[in-house]
Amino acid sequence: MTGSAQTLDQLRALGEGYKYGFVTDIESERAPPGLNEDVVRFISAKKREPQWLLDWRLESYRHWQQMENPNWARLRIAPIDYQAASYYSAPKSDSAPKSLDEVDPELLRTYEKLGIPLRERAALAGVAVDAVFDSVSVATTFKAKLGELGVIFCSFGEAVREHPELIRKYLGSVVPQGDNFFAALNSAVFSDGSFVYVPQGLRCPMELSTYFRINAAKTGQFERTLIVADKGSYVSYLEGCTAPQRDENQLHAAVVELIALEDAEIKYSTVQNWYPGDAEGKGGIYNFVTKRGACRGARAKISWTQVETGSAITWKYPSCILEGDHSVGAFYSVAITNNMQQADTGTKMIHLGRNTSSTILSKGISAGRGQNTYRGLVRIQPKAEGARNYTQCDSLLIGDKCGAHTVPYIEVRNPSARVEHEATTSKISDDQMFYCQQRGLKPEDALSLIVNGFCKEVLKELPMEFAVEAQKLLAVSLEGSVG
Amino acid sequence: MLEIRNLHAQIAEGRKILKGIDLAVGAGEVHAIMGPNGSGKSTLAGVLAGRPGYVVSEGSILYEGRDLTPLTPDERARAGIFLAFQYPVEIPGVNNMYFLRAALNAVRRERGEAELDAGQFLKSVRAKLKLLEIEDDLLKRGVNVGFSGGEKKRNEIFQMAMLEPKLALLDETDSGLDIDALRLVAGGINKLRSPERAIVLITHYQRLLDYVEPDRIHVLSDGRFVMSGDKSLAAELEKHGYATFGTAA
Amino acid sequence: MTNLVKPGTAPYLAAFRARAVEAEPHWLSEQRDAALARFAALGFPTRREEAWRFTDLRPLESATFLPAEQGAALAPERLAPWRLDGPTHRLVLVAGRFAPELSEIGPLPEGAWLASTARTLAERPDLARHAFDETDTGGGQPFAALNAALFADGFVLALDEGVALDRPVEIIHYGQAAAPASLHTRSAVLLGARSRATLVESFAGEGAYWTNAVAVVRLGPQSELRHLRLQDEGAAAIHFAAIRATLGRAAQYRSFTLTVGARLSRSDAFVRLDGDTAQCSLDGAFLLRGDREATTATFVDHVAPGCVTRELFKGVVGDRAHGVFLGRIAVRPDAQKSDAHQLNRNLLLSPRAAVDTKPELEILADDVKCSHGATVGDLDEAALFYLRARGIPEEEARRMLIEGFVVDALERIEDRAMRDHFARHLGRWLAGEQR
Repeated sequence: MTGSAQTLDQLRALGEGYKYGFVTDIESERAPPGLNEDVVRFISAKKREPQWLLDWRLESYRHWQQMENPNWARLRIAPIDYQAASYYSAPKSDSAPKSLDEVDPELLRTYEKLGIPLRERAALAGVAVDAVFDSVSVATTFKAKLGELGVIFCSFGEAVREHPELIRKYLGSVVPQGDNFFAALNSAVFSDGSFVYVPQGLRCPMELSTYFRINAAKTGQFERTLIVADKGSYVSYLEGCTAPQRDENQLHAAVVELIALEDAEIKYSTVQNWYPGDAEGKGGIYNFVTKRGACRGARAKISWTQVETGSAITWKYPSCILEGDHSVGAFYSVAITNNMQQADTGTKMIHLGRNTSSTILSKGISAGRGQNTYRGLVRIQPKAEGARNYTQCDSLLIGDKCGAHTVPYIEVRNPSARVEHEATTSKISDDQMFYCQQRGLKPEDALSLIVNGFCKEVLKELPMEFAVEAQKLLAVSLEGSVG
Repeated sequence: MLEIRNLHAQIAEGRKILKGIDLAVGAGEVHAIMGPNGSGKSTLAGVLAGRPGYVVSEGSILYEGRDLTPLTPDERARAGIFLAFQYPVEIPGVNNMYFLRAALNAVRRERGEAELDAGQFLKSVRAKLKLLEIEDDLLKRGVNVGFSGGEKKRNEIFQMAMLEPKLALLDETDSGLDIDALRLVAGGINKLRSPERAIVLITHYQRLLDYVEPDRIHVLSDGRFVMSGDKSLAAELEKHGYATFGTAA
Repeated sequence: MTNLVKPGTAPYLAAFRARAVEAEPHWLSEQRDAALARFAALGFPTRREEAWRFTDLRPLESATFLPAEQGAALAPERLAPWRLDGPTHRLVLVAGRFAPELSEIGPLPEGAWLASTARTLAERPDLARHAFDETDTGGGQPFAALNAALFADGFVLALDEGVALDRPVEIIHYGQAAAPASLHTRSAVLLGARSRATLVESFAGEGAYWTNAVAVVRLGPQSELRHLRLQDEGAAAIHFAAIRATLGRAAQYRSFTLTVGARLSRSDAFVRLDGDTAQCSLDGAFLLRGDREATTATFVDHVAPGCVTRELFKGVVGDRAHGVFLGRIAVRPDAQKSDAHQLNRNLLLSPRAAVDTKPELEILADDVKCSHGATVGDLDEAALFYLRARGIPEEEARRMLIEGFVVDALERIEDRAMRDHFARHLGRWLAGEQR
């Protein structure tokens, strides 16, 4: 538990506002601003990629050029100049670090500030970590130990070199290159990310975790995560994100692909705490992320749990394609928007196989002038005999300047399906607040207590290491919204 | 009236539940089938009533001399088989009276009797409601909707009284009843005993048998009858439990 | 005419220019021109538009539905299935035009007006003007714009302050077409403060016609309108109907819509709760079989505080039919203490039937109570077995369960006689009758 205890201490120690807004002073190597085929080639060359991957990137880039920024979400987005950002930024060092000792100490200090147990001494935390700093993966812990079990857990770049057959087989197999504008962009310029392969029948003994951090100014981050759980295996994966406080908006367009084969289970948890911008809406991360999992075999299970507290704008729909008979998808989400934050988030559950089932539990909290939208699709295809879905979306409003919106799409093509959707919108009642205050709680503590209660069903889906941190984050995110 | 020979049945997905049942029930007789949870009691009732999801893999069921297995559930009901459900189903939106009249007239048509008009129907209902001390207003609601557990069970016996079946299968009709409700339900059953009617009581406990005296008792365990006897068997079971038969109660 | 002309609209523009120009007030001619330009610019909707993504407009686009001529004479008994029992103020529109020989408006109390739109335009243009608003010439609804350009007739019901009608107002829209033709009716219901009325509209007919009906409803403070609609159009018909209602303070609008007819249909209700503590209930059922498609779209806009919305729609979809529910409730920033609940439940009866439902909440005030729910499923197998175990044949058991599923929506009609009238049409559908 060292890791999370450390994180908590830091949370306590840090002062007002966004806690991870420091900038790390590291020399970095970056691509010139702008995007064209040469930049794509530059990225690929920098990463010493094989020709097939360069071709794949170029194909994606050409797709992207044909596409338009999506505008269907309930988001107000200032026009993004895709030519102004730099698409590659790496901490400068002569060659890739071979062990943690070779990692720039400044970087390690950064991760310590973030509470990420990069050092093996964090063994007690029982979490293996891959850390992605700007565009490149800087360290993966516990690699050797996992390797003995046959688990591959490494940076995406390394996986391309070491396990090209797996990457070629699965890359883009869940989120095709041209799936959407941001996925196409990512496929063209993705920098690094994590790759996980869990072999048949293995229950991965530790939580795997990636921490993403955007450090350099005027860069975007485009990481790519690919997780393959072979037949009968299990893996729990945690993802955390932070970024420094900057006045301009930075783009984060990641792609995550999950593949669960027969009887496999993947549990993917995210605590997203990118810099949300200041109270006036200046700066902050544009978080445009495509996450999708495919249950490829019978009885496969994929669950997405997310706590979204950061980012100026969140555009994110972690989804499940339930192909295998009796496969199971779940989406548990807490999304908070405070100040000028906007979130349009939800999920898609596509039922293809027989007796597939899915659960959606979404808790949206709007405060300040935040706008929070749940957007979800449940589709039961004609062959999905006996499919089941249950959806519950609750919105909580704090203050009268914010908004909460619910936009579910339910499309049913099989009569034996049973789909239920329920949504409620309410505010924290004055009675609840008064009751807590009468018992001696400060308004902000009362609020935090009530909000945590509201989110409880989702938070309990998080692994321990994350749950405590998430609770604290909720409180921090809502600062200034009462009193 | 009912003759079951070497009946094997399984649920559609494959698990075998009944593994060779033999049972003969004659008109005017009351048989009790007892056994621990999971022994196959409710499956037997379901198979006899034609509940979807069961497959008869072997053996035969003869009712009044004809093979029951090809008949649909409603054909069986119209032929005079009544199942009192262990868990009566709630059907919102379908009025209790409307439902009962539709059922009664379907049964009467089958018997070649004239359908009852609203007045006759109401008269018949009133008389039988009294018998089971059921409030009038229950009939105005949806089928079983908002009924307490005891009311649901009484409603089952009330329906049985209305439909006048030849063979009544009562599946755990005593479960979940307090002592007053149990007396009421038992009283209803006793009133319906007649030389033309066969009754099969399915129960986990013998307490119903204190009120409704069976002619024969059969003990079901793991899909087979492991013992049959007269009513004294119930007392035996009370004393020693089902454990004697190699199954946990 | 601008150069902004969308494909597919040309025949309608030509028909507009070719129509016999009647003596009309100047404002109306100008408005028709502007509305037509709006239609030309918008064109037919495509599936890329969110409001139309579930609708297959091919039946409408596969032929040109030119505005209908005067309808043929109709024997009064043809209307019998839709006539209400008991005394009513009856106004019949055949092929989109007032049919005096079939109508029986009867004596109206002082301060009440009920007449065809054409007559209202001639005699009470002050009332007729209220049948239009800026949506017709500036909104995003192509069919409403086309209606404003091409309408021939309709009805106008207007009540002065405090007037209450004892009898229901009965409007029968009877469509007729030998060749594809469109019927554009424009109607208005204008209730003064504290006035009260019940309005029953039935849509029926024969042939390949396209009903494109628009009604504007304006309810003054504390007025009450009970609006019951039966969409029982012919099997070859296309039916689009739009209601635009605006409610003043403490006004009540209660509508019920039963949809059983037409091959392609869409019913839009836009309700604006403009005065505080206004109440609206939108209820109904759509029962579809064959390869029919029906969309029920509602948008309730809570503008003023303290308003209440209740919505309950039941869908029963069999064969290869397609049912769509689009329900949107918006609460504006000042609409505190809004209370809105919406529920859409659907039964899918066959492997090739389809349901799409999209209940939507858009909340910009915090002190609100809003919820919605949607379900899709098939008949409850346990209930079906229970009924059959009591001797009820399968078909009848299914019918009972479907009826039981729909009945709570029907029960939202408080008036016993009206409820029975709609129950009869429901029963007819259940018995498998097709028109």
